[in-house]
Amino acid sequence: MTNDNLNKLLVFCVLFCAQKTSIVHGVQALETKVALLLHVEPENPKCFAEGTSDLTCFWEEDEERAGSADQYSFIYTYQNENSSKCAVTALPAAGGKRLYFCRLSQTQLFVPLDIRVFRDNLLIHNRSLFIEVVFLLDPPANLTLTSTETQGQLKASWLPPSLKYMGDSMMYEVSYTMAGSHIGKVEEVQASSELILRGLQLGTKYKVRIRVKLDGISYSGYWSAWTDPVLMETMSGDLDPLIVSLSLVISLVLTLLSLIVLMSHRRFLLKKIWPIIPTPESKFQGLFKVYGGDFQVWLGHSTGGLWLRPAYFYSKEFPAPLEVLSEVSLGPALPSSALPPKASEALGEEEDEDKKLKRVETPQEHWLMDHGEDCEFDNSMW
Amino acid sequence: MSSISGPVVVLLTVLQWAGRGLPSPVRPICDPRVLDRFIMEARETETALRGCKAGCGVTGTFVVPLTNVDLVVWETKDTGEQALEVQSGMSLFGQVLSAVRESVSRVAVQILIDNNKSNIHSLGQVLRSLHIQDLSLPPAPAVGDSVTRKVSSLSELLHVHTNFLRGKVRLLLTNAPACQQNST
Repeated sequence: MTNDNLNKLLVFCVLFCAQKTSIVHGVQALETKVALLLHVEPENPKCFAEGTSDLTCFWEEDEERAGSADQYSFIYTYQNENSSKCAVTALPAAGGKRLYFCRLSQTQLFVPLDIRVFRDNLLIHNRSLFIEVVFLLDPPANLTLTSTETQGQLKASWLPPSLKYMGDSMMYEVSYTMAGSHIGKVEEVQASSELILRGLQLGTKYKVRIRVKLDGISYSGYWSAWTDPVLMETMSGDLDPLIVSLSLVISLVLTLLSLIVLMSHRRFLLKKIWPIIPTPESKFQGLFKVYGGDFQVWLGHSTGGLWLRPAYFYSKEFPAPLEVLSEVSLGPALPSSALPPKASEALGEEEDEDKKLKRVETPQEHWLMDHGEDCEFDNSMW
Repeated sequence: MSSISGPVVVLLTVLQWAGRGLPSPVRPICDPRVLDRFIMEARETETALRGCKAGCGVTGTFVVPLTNVDLVVWETKDTGEQALEVQSGMSLFGQVLSAVRESVSRVAVQILIDNNKSNIHSLGQVLRSLHIQDLSLPPAPAVGDSVTRKVSSLSELLHVHTNFLRGKVRLLLTNAPACQQNST
């Protein structure tokens, strides 16, 4: 074989394979649409338009009733026009059933179309429809997911079906769900070819798919099949290095400020948190170090006179310095002529008592008088 | 509905401005939602009249334009031919609705018809804004022309009117050269 022949053979094979792939894809798309309409359209024949000038109608027959395609007649009539006939073809279906098809390659929109189907001249289906309201489009192509600058978002973009005059009449349904989950959300968008999905979890893989339908004002139809799902993971929750460094610097500055404040007020804070427990040691020389806190022993080594006055020690309050001085009687007696007779008699009695009670002042008594001013403090201490 | 009322307000403002005869050109009205609003109101009127007993008291036949569109054939026509077809049809609807309005006694039906007549007038202004040749009162096609047919009820009249708006009018507005220039 020459090189030219080989090249021709290669080109032929490529074209054949491409056509075969296209045919296979077309058959799969038709099967999908047929299955879809069998599910959602109750009337017969079930009809759908894929483009601006075509119409495909089909109906299903059980195995018992199914006959050859020749037995069927498909008659269609536009309003105010003569009837026309469409050739019927048959294809096998699941469960032993048969599907019968009729395809029109030139159509009129915005006018009623009457359809009648006969089997052996017997009317089996009768329907009137508008072709512009039975569109069943192919799913959008090239569904793509990209990240946005904002966390928790993904941008979905797609290629709208290429239908002349109908671009602004298309509406899309975008379904997105976490990979592995069956619970998802659906958002609708009109006359657009992209949508930003918001409120997504960070660092999570999402599965997105989309379908299309005409909006129902001038044109209408059925929801297309879903596209194959596209998966993409959202940005993780890692913090921006700049934000992290700024946060560290701010934390450091705040910490230093706190330390400075603490250090400048440490004495006040220490007093409040750990107050000094006052001790009487400085006021009672040797009481704790020599006598082990035994106050009686400490007193016993000082003087016994004070024991004659037990009330002085066991009363709740020590007498004020003025009271102590009146008992010790330091000053000279006042002249009796200056006082009334009863007062002078009382004073004379008191002077006699003072003389009896007069005694030598001991060092402890002197100490008591000297520290009388501290009695309140000491009393409270006991 | 709330998404459509905005452009309608814009349209009414522009129409008022244009109605004053100001010399400056009117900006093309290319928003498809304007026509969508008219279509939905025509559809609502059709639905309301369908429930009307005894044809809402209206009898007789009405001449209406044909609504069928073969897109392959439509694309072979230039904008002028398409505009002529649309404006002839709108003129015919306007005349028929005016005639029907006089024979309707129910106030609710009168209001619906008046609304649709107003929309037809507004549509004429929209076409003018798109610099489409103004044939404000083209000769109405006669009965028997290939572009007309007869209807025998008010609801059917509005049904044809709705289909006309959805089809030929929308195709004309969608592909108006003025709107194509704006979009590029």
